[in-house]
Amino acid sequence: MTASLLQAPRLHRTVLPNGLTVLILENPVADIVSARLFIRAGSAFETAKDAGIASFLMGLLTKGTEAQSSMDIAETVESVGASLGTDAATDYSIISLKTVSSDFADIFTLAATLLRQPSFPEAEIALEKRLTLQQIRSMQEQPFTVAFNQLRQAMYGDHPYALPGIGTEASVTALDREALQAFHHRHFRPDNVVITIVGRITPDDAIAQVEKNLGDWVAPASLPSTPVFPPVSPSGTCTVATQETNQAVVMVGYGAAPVKHPAYATLKLLNTYLGNGLSSRLFVELREKRGLAYDVSAFFPTRLGLSQFVTYMGTAPTNAAIALEGLRHEVERLRDTVLSEEELQAAKNKLLGQYALGKQTNAQIAQMLGWYEILGLGVDFDEQFKEMVTAVTLVDVEAVAQEFFHRPCISLLGPEAVVGPLAAELA
Amino acid sequence: MAHFLEHMIFKGTDHLPPGVFDYAIETQGGMTNAATSHDYAHFYMTIAADTLPQTLPYLADLLLHAAIPADEFGRERHVVLEEIRQAQDDPDWLGFQAMSELVYQNHPYGRPVLGTAEILQQRSPEEMRCFHQAHYQPHNMTVVITGGIPLDQTVEMVKHAFRTFPTAPPCPMATIAPLPLAQGVHREVLCLPRLEQSRLCMAWVGPGIKQLEAAYGLDLLAALLAEGRSSRLVRELREDRQLVQDIAAGFSLQQDCSLFTIQAWLEADHIDRVEAIICDRVSELTATPIPESELARAKRLLCNDYAFSTEAPGQIAGLYGYYGTVAAPDHCLTYVPIIQGYEEAQLRQLAAQYLTPLHYVSTILRPA
Repeated sequence: MTASLLQAPRLHRTVLPNGLTVLILENPVADIVSARLFIRAGSAFETAKDAGIASFLMGLLTKGTEAQSSMDIAETVESVGASLGTDAATDYSIISLKTVSSDFADIFTLAATLLRQPSFPEAEIALEKRLTLQQIRSMQEQPFTVAFNQLRQAMYGDHPYALPGIGTEASVTALDREALQAFHHRHFRPDNVVITIVGRITPDDAIAQVEKNLGDWVAPASLPSTPVFPPVSPSGTCTVATQETNQAVVMVGYGAAPVKHPAYATLKLLNTYLGNGLSSRLFVELREKRGLAYDVSAFFPTRLGLSQFVTYMGTAPTNAAIALEGLRHEVERLRDTVLSEEELQAAKNKLLGQYALGKQTNAQIAQMLGWYEILGLGVDFDEQFKEMVTAVTLVDVEAVAQEFFHRPCISLLGPEAVVGPLAAELA
Repeated sequence: MAHFLEHMIFKGTDHLPPGVFDYAIETQGGMTNAATSHDYAHFYMTIAADTLPQTLPYLADLLLHAAIPADEFGRERHVVLEEIRQAQDDPDWLGFQAMSELVYQNHPYGRPVLGTAEILQQRSPEEMRCFHQAHYQPHNMTVVITGGIPLDQTVEMVKHAFRTFPTAPPCPMATIAPLPLAQGVHREVLCLPRLEQSRLCMAWVGPGIKQLEAAYGLDLLAALLAEGRSSRLVRELREDRQLVQDIAAGFSLQQDCSLFTIQAWLEADHIDRVEAIICDRVSELTATPIPESELARAKRLLCNDYAFSTEAPGQIAGLYGYYGTVAAPDHCLTYVPIIQGYEEAQLRQLAAQYLTPLHYVSTILRPA
């Protein structure tokens, strides 16, 4: 899939009179249509009290509408071998579906009904609550998840990004039908929705489907609500979880730029340089040369609000201190070590190449287009991002490293005998 | 050894220092990695089609002439030991290994692909070079290339890049213990620390790659039982009776035999009851005709899954490579017609033959 596919005239963008945005890309290669319905409401729109509501609500969308039971919905989808899923992300939520092209109209109609008319049956709420609470407890079984949850909490404090998308035992226990209906009523409105349809379908047919199912949906007169983020400045904390694991987990997080910040592309590039692939700096220095870890990497998620730049590894508990020192050294040395032109160009090639590889299937294209639109970046961001990455200079890299890579938050997990003394040393 | 070797392949040849290949692929915007299973190791790269002539010879050089330097061997062993440590912190991995041991006993499928710390410590670079040169030979290798490439030139390119295999040295061949005969019900309970929820995993041994048609039939039965909310077990045990957090059926096809599993995540006090219900439902498969609509649902799920997983060139290469290695590449084209041709009586017969509640293995994980 080349970049030119994503541009007019093949990409059709329409805004219906009710404010709903539709993006359509005809791709007749395979007999598949992928569609995504994005809603501008994710876990960032929650408070500590109702944490997890977006995720819970999205799960319940497929569990009942005014006319259909949970089992009716499952049978409709599964009897034609389609896939239909829902998910809540940080800055948005999504219904995604994939069908062979002849089944598209029926399954899209179902998805539109789930979006507009969920009934939130009490029995389904009770079941979902039980399953969700168990899932929250089960997170304790995964050392990386425990370490990351702890890091996020330490970095974000009162900010809605502090809590895991699934919520907490207290907040999920407190959820009820009324709260779900209120959240749905507030955020699920046509001018908060972006729909992308990609695959073997003509633009005329696709737009007709959207208009038929969602054209009569009326937007309320009030303006849609936007999340309000309290100011946070993550700095210099060290948090510890003791578990008698075989490996210690070491994570180091720095506050990082939101997607609309000028440093965004440079940080993406640094993330690639440090953590992406077998030739990345962390992989080569800490795994290949020193054998400290199997899993060592970095991530920098794209966020509307303050993001985080995290490096991590799992290592033998006796190596935890060296691992921490190694991760910090590799990130923080960038403040005063200038990369070579060759290193910068290599990172750019890698980032842009992988970016292109991330747009191979209809579902991937539908995801990316709608994601840019729902974040308010617009589909042109696909081109802009490539231009921004290409334009990054060595001076930018150094300046951004100096701006962001200091006073990290550290999260440690491992046996008491190892992480206890290490944390005490850092305090 | 096979898995450790897969790591060492990336450590270069006499002409190619460690890391040069990864760097070359990734800085041209591509990606590369590898994985090892019981039957085969596979190495893959995804790159822009026009860079194939510059990159394929490097991959071939690594695969045919891995140097396996002693110092890199020592360092990489630490990496594999970390991989093992990480796996040991994963309760589902522990459960799967325990179950495999119980099912396969002394057959190699019963051992972890990663090996153990003890066995790794005993390996030497010399042994690994011998293993490599003995097994990485043309009759054991399938090269699959998909994408926008010209056929004739690409075939020539492959012939040229993969022309100089080393002479296979004498290498002690593993004596492979036979698969144990399924005899009765074997049950094992493991108590694990840091466990928040119990697991019940039931496993039946199925036909190998030589009986492809029967194997695909079991895939259908797995979909019928536990794929999707309207499948039998999910509907009954999770949605209606609410005895499990989740339940899934898995079918994995290997060369010597396949494995049919049903796994449930649940409270410890429901384990016995759920196991008994599953046995009942499995018996019913044999005894009661399968409604047409249910069979049609399972067929469509599998055929669409197949279509959905052949969108990207990398997926297609993986599919052909898998069949090319364990059987023949064109076998992957038989999947959809065989699935669609199944009749309910054939499925019931398969269930009677393979999925009996009289012979299976069950592994249970409980919080310590």
